Amino acid sequence: MSWIREGELNLLEKIASNVLKAGPMPKHVAFIMDGNRRFARKKNMERQEGHMQGFNKLAETLRWCKQLSIPEVTVYAFSIENFKRTKEEVDGLLDLARQKFERLLEERENLEKHGVCIRVLGDLNMLPLDLQQLIAKAVLTTKTNNKCFLNVCFAYTSRYEITNAVREMAWGVEQGLIKASDVSEALLSECLYSNNSPNPDLLIRTSGEVRLSDFLLWQTSHSCLVFQSVLWPEYTFWNLCEAILQYQLNHKSIQKARELHREEQALQQLEADRACVADLLQHQGNGKPADAKRRQEALHLCTASREARVQDFLQALKQKRNHFFSDLYGEAVSAYESQS
Amino acid sequence: MALLYGLLWRLLLALLRVKRALMSWLRGRLRNRGGSLWERMAAALLLPAALPTDSQKKLERSPVSGSRADTGSRRAQWLADGKALEKLPVHVGLMVAEEEPSFTDIANLVVWCMAVGVSYVSVYDHHGIFQKNNSHLQEEIMRQQQNLLGLDGSKYNVEVLSNGGDEHQHCVVSCRPTVKVLSPEDGKHSIVQAARKLCHAVENKERSSRDINVSMLDVMLRESKNIPDPELVVKFGPVNSTLGFLPWHIRLTEFVSVPSHRNVLYEDLYGALQRYGVCQQRLGQ
Repeated sequence: MSWIREGELNLLEKIASNVLKAGPMPKHVAFIMDGNRRFARKKNMERQEGHMQGFNKLAETLRWCKQLSIPEVTVYAFSIENFKRTKEEVDGLLDLARQKFERLLEERENLEKHGVCIRVLGDLNMLPLDLQQLIAKAVLTTKTNNKCFLNVCFAYTSRYEITNAVREMAWGVEQGLIKASDVSEALLSECLYSNNSPNPDLLIRTSGEVRLSDFLLWQTSHSCLVFQSVLWPEYTFWNLCEAILQYQLNHKSIQKARELHREEQALQQLEADRACVADLLQHQGNGKPADAKRRQEALHLCTASREARVQDFLQALKQKRNHFFSDLYGEAVSAYESQS
Repeated sequence: MALLYGLLWRLLLALLRVKRALMSWLRGRLRNRGGSLWERMAAALLLPAALPTDSQKKLERSPVSGSRADTGSRRAQWLADGKALEKLPVHVGLMVAEEEPSFTDIANLVVWCMAVGVSYVSVYDHHGIFQKNNSHLQEEIMRQQQNLLGLDGSKYNVEVLSNGGDEHQHCVVSCRPTVKVLSPEDGKHSIVQAARKLCHAVENKERSSRDINVSMLDVMLRESKNIPDPELVVKFGPVNSTLGFLPWHIRLTEFVSVPSHRNVLYEDLYGALQRYGVCQQRLGQ
């Protein structure tokens, strides 16, 4: 079935949607789509059918988000931990993924019409090569769309993502692009797979489990968490409204907490820059204590050079990541050409 | 039209807030005096789980500080309660998402956790108030230990998780229950510090970026090898967020909410532990 479910909200849903939109709306919602297998058991279906229903529900939920003017959605499709499942189930899920990404390529015009940009986040090199190539094609094909964004976490866990970000920063240091002292919370965030997205405002987990299961642990530190007991394939528009309402009830207190955290971050950065200044003045100095003016100048210098280094590093990282996808795509094209 | 929707939205939120306040008031009433008939009926509608059973009522009425015999039997009861659970977390996090935390209530919670058999208790608030007033918290815990368990302070040790302190002398040989006081600095900031350390090592050519893996980072973020990640975090307060609590360590943590930590009862904590006891973790499988 399709990635795009056409359809309109009925009158009651439209009214509810308008009432909700009068308040603050989340700009980025993350879903842990849990409960496919329990749903299959409940309806006496095959597990694979449960996963298919789960995908259909995803398409429907994307439509609701669009109608609620929520421009970005991130979903947890396949965890690195899921590789521990039986070979049969893992193969089934990877096959489903192949089907869906192929379908995505068939629907590229429709996706362009709706402005949907698809990104895939995860340790993609853990996947079979053909699936990696399909994913690369899907990502490159929808890259320029910019009305709404769907981030699919595939072969993903948050710890792997954070570790990868640290590794990238270490790579930056190795390449001489940044110094170890440039490492900060902001820089780490820029090195995550999700660096093109703002942090989720709302995280919803279905099926009644009340844990995060290694999903977006860094990015959701100040998000509204809503745990709902409905199974994912049975998710309704009203469930989504309920979650958004929770977000709205928590909005002010979470904003306050985010502000506090931002202030602390800024303080820590200032401290780090001051340490750099102390270093600089020691090297330049002639034993006499520096006056306020010199210290201020040195601070500006330190901050400016740090920011320049960081920009260069992030540019290099972006290119590295683009090459990863275009290389895969190139391999796919040449493989196709060598077959025909 | 937009004005009408705006009004409707404000009305909806106001209704929800009133409902929340009503539930919290009812809970308070039921605890104190059993409540009048109509209060109990309203409670049955809105929060059936909060109606106290007979055994709970008995526990509520017993005095907080009493003779040695009382504290002894309470200790035994709490230990038995712990054993009665299907599974007991080794490490519990107490997260206070309310303004102006009450040190006495937190101390009570800490003491109850340890009495029930939890080995590690972490206390957290996102303003870092507990950490800034660590000695005050320590005193309160000692005092409540005396009140509730009739013990002197030597049985337990309380320590502060010090940030950036490399020489953290943590004695892991004993099996004594341990309390840690955490603040947001122990969350993302610790991860950044570990990253900086690794990058320094790379800068000094002691290490290659390719060496960096999940278990390396995990070891660095673990104060001591024996302390597991918190299996359960009990969140007090109406805010539905982790508010920066140890992002790295909560990947499999169960979150149970309790409306408030003020005048919290043992039953509230035990209810959370029971909820943890019945959850099933499939660990990806």
